[in-house]
Amino acid sequence: MIFKIEDVTVYFPYDNIYPEQYEYMVELKRALDAKGHCLLEMPTGTGKTIALLSLITSYRLSRPDSPIKLVYCTRTVHEMEKTLGELKLLHDYQVRHLGTQAKILALGLSSRKNLCVNTKVLAAENRDSVDAACRKRTASWVRALSTENPNVELCDFFENYEKAAENALLPPGVYTLEDLRAFGKNRGWCPYFLARHMIQFANVIVYSYQYLLDPKVAGFISKELQKESVVVFDEAHNIDNVCIEALSVSVRRVTLEGANRNLNKIRQEIDRFKATDAGRLRAEYNRLVEGLALRGDLSGGDQWLANPALPHDILKEAVPGNIRRAEHFVHVLRRLLQYLGVRLDTENVEKESPVSFVSSLNSQAGIEQKTLKFCYDRLQSLMLTLEITDTDEFLPIQTVCDFATLVGTYARGFSIIIEPYDERMPHIPDPILQLSCHDASLAIKPVFDRFQSVVITSGTLSPIDLYPRLLNFTPVVSRSFKMSMTRDCICPMVLTRGSDQLPVSTKFDMRSDPGVVRNYGKLLVEMVSIVPDGVVCFFVSYSYMDGIIATWNETGILKEIMQQKLVFIETQDVVETTLALDNYRRACDCGRGAVFFSVARGKVAEGIDFDRHYGRLVVMYGVPFQYTLSKILRARLEYLHDTFQIKEGDFLTFDALRQAAQCVGRVIRSKADYGMMIFADKRYSRHDKRSKLPGWILSHLRDAHLNLSTDMAIHIAREFLRKMAQPYDKAGTMGRKTLLTQEDLEKMAETGVQDMAY
Amino acid sequence: MAGGQIEKLVKYKSTVKDPGTPGFLRIREGMLLFVPNDPKSDSKLKVLTQNIKSQKYTKEGSNKPPWLNLTNKQAKSHIFEFENYPDMHACRDFITKALAKCELEPNKSVVSTSSEQLSIKELELRFKLLRENSELQRLHKQFVESKVLTEDEFWATRKKLLGKDSIRKSKQQLGLKSMMVSGIKPSTDGRTNRVTFNLTPEIIFQIFAEKPAVRQAFINYVPSKMTEKDFWTKYFRAEYLYSTKNTAVAAAEAAEDEELAVFLKPDEILARETRHKIRRVDPTLDMEADQGDDYTHLMDHGIQRDGTMDVVEPQNDQFKRSLLQDLNRHAAVVLEGRSIDVESEDTRIVAEALTRVKQVSKADGETTKDANQERLERMSRVAGMEDLQAPQNFPLAPLSIKDPRDYFESQQGNVLNVPRGAKGLKRNVHEAYGLLKESILEIRATGLSDPLIKPEVSFEVFSSLTRTIATAKNINGKNPRESFLDRLPKSTKDEVLHHWTSIQELLKHFWSSYPITTTYLHTKVGKLKDAMSNTYSKLEAMKESVQSDLRHQVSLLVRPMQQALDAAFHHYEVDLQRRTAKSGERPNGYV
Repeated sequence: MIFKIEDVTVYFPYDNIYPEQYEYMVELKRALDAKGHCLLEMPTGTGKTIALLSLITSYRLSRPDSPIKLVYCTRTVHEMEKTLGELKLLHDYQVRHLGTQAKILALGLSSRKNLCVNTKVLAAENRDSVDAACRKRTASWVRALSTENPNVELCDFFENYEKAAENALLPPGVYTLEDLRAFGKNRGWCPYFLARHMIQFANVIVYSYQYLLDPKVAGFISKELQKESVVVFDEAHNIDNVCIEALSVSVRRVTLEGANRNLNKIRQEIDRFKATDAGRLRAEYNRLVEGLALRGDLSGGDQWLANPALPHDILKEAVPGNIRRAEHFVHVLRRLLQYLGVRLDTENVEKESPVSFVSSLNSQAGIEQKTLKFCYDRLQSLMLTLEITDTDEFLPIQTVCDFATLVGTYARGFSIIIEPYDERMPHIPDPILQLSCHDASLAIKPVFDRFQSVVITSGTLSPIDLYPRLLNFTPVVSRSFKMSMTRDCICPMVLTRGSDQLPVSTKFDMRSDPGVVRNYGKLLVEMVSIVPDGVVCFFVSYSYMDGIIATWNETGILKEIMQQKLVFIETQDVVETTLALDNYRRACDCGRGAVFFSVARGKVAEGIDFDRHYGRLVVMYGVPFQYTLSKILRARLEYLHDTFQIKEGDFLTFDALRQAAQCVGRVIRSKADYGMMIFADKRYSRHDKRSKLPGWILSHLRDAHLNLSTDMAIHIAREFLRKMAQPYDKAGTMGRKTLLTQEDLEKMAETGVQDMAY
Repeated sequence: MAGGQIEKLVKYKSTVKDPGTPGFLRIREGMLLFVPNDPKSDSKLKVLTQNIKSQKYTKEGSNKPPWLNLTNKQAKSHIFEFENYPDMHACRDFITKALAKCELEPNKSVVSTSSEQLSIKELELRFKLLRENSELQRLHKQFVESKVLTEDEFWATRKKLLGKDSIRKSKQQLGLKSMMVSGIKPSTDGRTNRVTFNLTPEIIFQIFAEKPAVRQAFINYVPSKMTEKDFWTKYFRAEYLYSTKNTAVAAAEAAEDEELAVFLKPDEILARETRHKIRRVDPTLDMEADQGDDYTHLMDHGIQRDGTMDVVEPQNDQFKRSLLQDLNRHAAVVLEGRSIDVESEDTRIVAEALTRVKQVSKADGETTKDANQERLERMSRVAGMEDLQAPQNFPLAPLSIKDPRDYFESQQGNVLNVPRGAKGLKRNVHEAYGLLKESILEIRATGLSDPLIKPEVSFEVFSSLTRTIATAKNINGKNPRESFLDRLPKSTKDEVLHHWTSIQELLKHFWSSYPITTTYLHTKVGKLKDAMSNTYSKLEAMKESVQSDLRHQVSLLVRPMQQALDAAFHHYEVDLQRRTAKSGERPNGYV
């Protein structure tokens, strides 16, 4: 359908639209007009992504003189693929209606691991080794060497791409990663470098958060995006965590050992170069004297992770004299490693601010703050000079330099915590020195400053006023949308007791109680026998899930479950989990039905949809609190309290409930869909906990469903499923329009949006 | 059946308690002969195969000796104890085949001589069916007792009811049990530390399907390196080591015993399969791709211990395998289903068949590029939001399957709402017929096209059909709920229905007798024709007898029956003429 929002003609690829999608677009347009940031919460299952994409692309079409670019950030690669899938649909529609002028270039970007088509490089196991294998074939000095020595192996795809030079362009269209690979294979061009090159021409870029938030990655990928871009963070309820993760580094024993080995290697290389090519080291020294940390322009193959500090915090001055010479720098690093080793040898937990850490480092190892700050740049320069290509081998020393640079740069918002062992496993000594960032606003600040509009959106952003404080920005629009329901297609319930009336909870003192474990098991046994197709269960933690499944296996509960449905489980092995999910979907498709056991905060909870028959019921076992005794969490809570006056308990509950809401929100995708949500913990019946759930869940949570036992829940579930199986009128009844047609929209445009019926 | 004879050393026992007489058993197709070693013994035995009613035997793996128990028709049992299982299986197979042959023979005789050699059981079944189904009984009475049809002819068309066919039909493939293999618990005798596992072919199959490494090991080791029993003993030893979760002991034992190590090591074939499968996974689920993209989880970057991620003891120990992995693997295998169709007791055959199937499916996966295409298509399908789109399917009228008449009645309103004269109706029917004929011709000429029949044509045909039926009801239906049949007096209604079923029965036999190749069929057709003309006249009589206001409707009902009979008569006449003409040409020709 095609309709107008004020002066913008919106091309929407469906015949109907939900009223909340329309409103969402209106608000979004206002934010774009104001060139400001916005914060929008809209329930899952109301087509956020398509509303967003269709408004922004239509907005671009209506302003041909000042084209805006869309930078769409997702949390995961599979969400990226999903988004691009929807964009394809939209693009087809727009081209069909507008012809070639609507053509855009949209592409997904990922790491070499996901884009490479060179089979030899792909044979490497993980991302770091793929990166290194690629660099071994594409670094400028390797390619220079190959002109003399034909035995040096290069990558044909990269060579072809370089040969094509300026002509290596992607024709307009929407490219998923798969499409990029296919295109690259076809043309013989390297898809990874092609995609990175095309970023500056693309109208829509879809990639992960880190490509924009993490300075290490953003530094070499997103440097050249123009200000007239709209940045969207989708599923952004966890954005604060991504931000603080991007600026946190830790050092372990293995890191130090590895770093020492790296230094030995570097030392050897320096000696070798001194003997054979002393001029090169001298040239580097001279360059550093002149104040240039890096040799101007690096060719694509040479680039490596950028400075871990944020761009505006990087000092633009010459590298201090005491580390200009390569040997001196190696000495400084040795002293640093030694000092860190001593600090790791502690018996007690230590917490320190960066300032005091730097000053004790200065007094005991004689390393100044300014020297620390330049560690990253100096190492980078040295590694380029020494022509080191196997970067994956040198990760430990890079980690240490990243740590040094960060600790030297930031005095506020960070703390250093040294723990001799993990508190939950005191019998395993595993000392760790962590530099952890507490302030999420640091990492995201450059994004807010740099781009004209930043949109933060998700299904769960409650309480919506907390995010501007956590991220320290002022949105021009901040709204939470309700969901207009055609019928009560979600059925949240709070289960507090088992059939034997014993309370259930994952509170620490209760969770391993046999009665609780049994009641949790019985609940599932009963549910799988009445719920069709897919059932998903979330547990509070991996270890808890492991334990409870083992107990169910011993007591025969698992066997009873397996009589009804197949059982699939998220494990710590990502490959296995992916296959389990794939099988789970197939079991649901073929009608066999299955249960999926997963973990809140896990990878599955983060981004996999269990919509339609893939999930008719979600059971959330317990409240997914963080481990509250964690020192880092304590430090962060303290910081939040001091800086933003956010109460500790409030933050913990907020965090736990947003995770729970995220888990259960995965069941619904459209209004034609339906699903049940069971919160199985007595703590959910308390108002202070429950009220933190997003409004769209709360509005369906009836008072009668707040304190249920298993048998009552079964009864309600039966009734609900029976009701949902009936045919219904999709357009909504009795004046409550839940599906708008073109006509409705035109009528609304005349009378004003306010009349929209909810 | 090499040589058609088999000979084995056995002990013969007349009862279970009997210690047994040693001797040898000789089995031929027709009979079974036991000759004792001791010529003085009087336990010489001779059993005709057709007298054997059933055979029982002890399962392999149970701790009983290999016994074969044959029961004859007089319910006397003969027990033979064999020296080993293969011997017993060989004999058992032989007897099974011989028995099957014996069963076939009496069947043949029934067809050829039509003699009534029926087992009592079968007769009982027939009586039971007749008792339960009054309509069937009535037909039976009418035709069989009046000698129009013979008993056999009558039942021949109802084989399904007798359950004969169901035996011949291929069985539906059974899926796998959803119970875990690890769920099999050993039995203990309670006194010693010995445990006993009972393995059935089902369990073995499941183990092989879930653990390709065990399958491979079986093919490699059995029987060249160890016996099957040793193999399974080792396997369960390894399982036991897993269950103790004592990795140190497992590692130590594996170091000493390389065969045991095979079971304890992670499954490499499985790992290869996994790598293969992950490439074909739906990209919207592919979390492995995330890992390759996730720069926050660079080594030691990001937050390690803030309590969001939880800690689990390191799992990388190669002698540790988690329950969760087993569960996932098991569910995947159950989902895959039984991929082979080997009903063999021989474990080796099963193992080899499974390996073959796996190789084939792998090759398939490599050759078909369609899978990728299909994956992408599925993705784009899923990308759309279903309820925002216009519905894909066309509006349907609810169809009640209980009584087809209701469908036409519900449609009647739609059709009759259009005002139209009686003439219009008539023309419409013809038009519709014409259209249908035309499109059939077109199909003949051009072959099938994409919409099989043009929607307009089918709509036209349907609506005029509906209309005709609806009008029939409309003319006499004052009460719309009442169908015409209900308005007839009960006796007439019953009569009409009964005639209908009996005509159907007769016609079925009639048409199935053509072409007439034997004299038997010839006389049958003659009898059938007489019976049909009899019924025909009865129909006429019934038409006369009904009240005048109903007569028209009854004749409408009767007409199709008469038409069907007329067609049969016509065919009979034509055939007869042809036949006489032929026999005129060839005076010696057989009929």
